[in-house]
Amino acid sequence: MISNHIGLDYALNPGWMAPYVAGLSVGKARARRCQSCAATSFPPLRVCTCGCLEGNWTDLPGTAQILFRTTGLDGDFGLVHFDGATTKTTLRLQAIPATETRGIIAASGDNLPVLCLTALTGERDG
Amino acid sequence: MKVRDVTVTGAALTPFNRRKDGTGFRDWALSAFEMALERSGLERSDIDALYVASESDFFHLQLNPASVLATEFGLTGVAATRCEGGGASGQVAVHTAARAIQAGAAKHVAVIGVDPSASSLSGDAIRTLYGFSFDAWTDGMTGLTSTALYALSFQAFAAEHGITEADLATVTLQNRSNACHNPGAHLPRRDSPQDIADSPAIASPYRRLHCSPLSDGAAAIILSRTDATPRRRAGAARIAGMGTATDHMHLGARADPGFFTAKQIAMQRACAEAGATPAEIGLAELYDAYAGTQLQSIAALGLSEDVSRDLNNGAFAPTGRCAINLSGGLMGQGAPVGATGVGQTATCALLLEGRYHPSLQPDTLPRYALADTHGGVCTLSAVTILERAEKAA
Repeated sequence: MISNHIGLDYALNPGWMAPYVAGLSVGKARARRCQSCAATSFPPLRVCTCGCLEGNWTDLPGTAQILFRTTGLDGDFGLVHFDGATTKTTLRLQAIPATETRGIIAASGDNLPVLCLTALTGERDG
Repeated sequence: MKVRDVTVTGAALTPFNRRKDGTGFRDWALSAFEMALERSGLERSDIDALYVASESDFFHLQLNPASVLATEFGLTGVAATRCEGGGASGQVAVHTAARAIQAGAAKHVAVIGVDPSASSLSGDAIRTLYGFSFDAWTDGMTGLTSTALYALSFQAFAAEHGITEADLATVTLQNRSNACHNPGAHLPRRDSPQDIADSPAIASPYRRLHCSPLSDGAAAIILSRTDATPRRRAGAARIAGMGTATDHMHLGARADPGFFTAKQIAMQRACAEAGATPAEIGLAELYDAYAGTQLQSIAALGLSEDVSRDLNNGAFAPTGRCAINLSGGLMGQGAPVGATGVGQTATCALLLEGRYHPSLQPDTLPRYALADTHGGVCTLSAVTILERAEKAA
């Protein structure tokens, strides 16, 4: 048996996605709005589905609708629709009761630039 | 440019399992290569090029594995290429190798798929790595696991197609039952629906028994230009059509997150090249990373217009109109990632020759068999249609 422990510390430059990553770090969903068709993608698409390469960054309102959710060993995750976005996204659901269908976007609190969805404090579905 | 015909002159798989015998990936790869070469009737000196499918350097801690295996196989001097496309790596290698023959760049090539997905790292470490099979900067950093992403996609599919937990159980039991007749299978099991329901929840609706295992192993095929195939291999199956396609990396960017559009497009391309239709496919080795994935694949490949109905009327059973995963599939036979696509192609070739495991060999050979893989949640799909030779056993 050959035992070999390797620790790897990556320093990844996000390049064109820098505004998106900066948004994640402060709990904001920063989406890409197409200059041609106004489709708003999150995670951002560099080239819009309409073929346009030009886009602007825009912060989404910060709430989302849960479309599907899965529960298991690693916690709860959802396929959700961020209000104001054209596309859907997948992310961790943080302490959102199974009966809730909406949540509010927050920074995950981990060391990585990641969003999660947490329970709404005031707003309710509908 | 003239397109050459390609024949699978040799095919072999090692057992897929969790190795505890002290052997390593170089041993498994060599074993599969030598078995396939012997069956091909060719010599090492006949091999022009080597194509190696391996998903990740993290598994075996070896960059540039193709040149390493060329040396291990005694093939130093041949062209060597490593092919990677996540879970589709094996089929990507098969396609790359076959295209080299079609283009006239080689006469005989070896394709090896190998990965130590079970024994080299902990299960948790592998799961972490698999999380980077998706968009590593978005999905990958959320802690979202492969199983969770597949579960979300499946839920969208199930809602649209009326798929039930009973359907998931049928797939699970059938694949593992088939594996009981495959001496090289990792999980030959005869469970009950209650066993499945009692297994731990991984990511709802998936429970442990709905999931394919992490496996070690290798598979190999030798591809030859058909007009250069040894005469005694006249009964070998040929590659009739190949197709590859991609979908949006992000599940949420897809118009229908439950439908494997890339697979549909890849299948259309393969069928066009083969001059075949999905209805003519009589055997299929599908990429059943999870039980529901098999059902999503059946729909996308056009093998059924009503997946639940056909599943339950036995269309995909060993004696059905399109027997699916006679090997046991990933769920039963196992899943050493790089080896899966090559192994599927090898299995289809052996079945079409009448040389597969006797108790799984159909009495009547269909004209076409299908090998289907994908990487990500069908972000990259690669399918291969094989055709029986006129003189098959």
